[in-house]
Amino acid sequence: MFERFVGEARQVALQAHSVAAGLGASSVEAEHLLVSIAGTQHPAGAALREVGLDSTELHEAIQRDFERVLAQVGIDASGVDVSSNCRRTKLSWGASAKRGLERALEEAKRRGDRKIGCEHILLGLLRAEHGTVPRLLAAEGIDRAELTGRL
Amino acid sequence: MQPTPTDLTHPEDPADGLAAAVALRRLADRMEDAQVERALRDGWTWAQVAEALGVTRQAVHKKHARRLRDV
Repeated sequence: MFERFVGEARQVALQAHSVAAGLGASSVEAEHLLVSIAGTQHPAGAALREVGLDSTELHEAIQRDFERVLAQVGIDASGVDVSSNCRRTKLSWGASAKRGLERALEEAKRRGDRKIGCEHILLGLLRAEHGTVPRLLAAEGIDRAELTGRL
Repeated sequence: MQPTPTDLTHPEDPADGLAAAVALRRLADRMEDAQVERALRDGWTWAQVAEALGVTRQAVHKKHARRLRDV
């Protein structure tokens, strides 16, 4: 899958594994790719930081999303850390991240770009309609179309 | 207002319900992590923890032993 990715995009994919591991997740998900992009010097990372989404803010947004989702079904999870100190030895790619990366390939194709860069991964992540990423972006007041337009 | 059991299993929007199902699995994992650690600190054996969780001793050991080897 990664043969057409440029160096920075491979780095983002690799870093997403560390982000997921740091949160004690059992799979690498779209939100981990988002945190990873926010930490890069690439323009896609800068675009995220310009709308206030640096990696610290995203970690907090992930926690708030967890609490808010549970609050909607009457469960108070405030103070329950979404991250775990459980270190999994082998992390797999989760469905949301796979879908984001597939959409990155589609975005590159649509734009006539031969190589996949960080901007394509971010565009791919921004296309999701359901799941943690679109939900937390909405909660943070981020206009996905506007952010897409910056890339 | 206290949520009724119906609210718990039937939020109005399926998106909320589906998101909650995912978050509940994660919450259950976090609870298991914390309570296994607590039980071991309280002197429970792996076999007792396994029985309480309704899984085999091997399963609970494989999942938690590395993390909790210093407990």
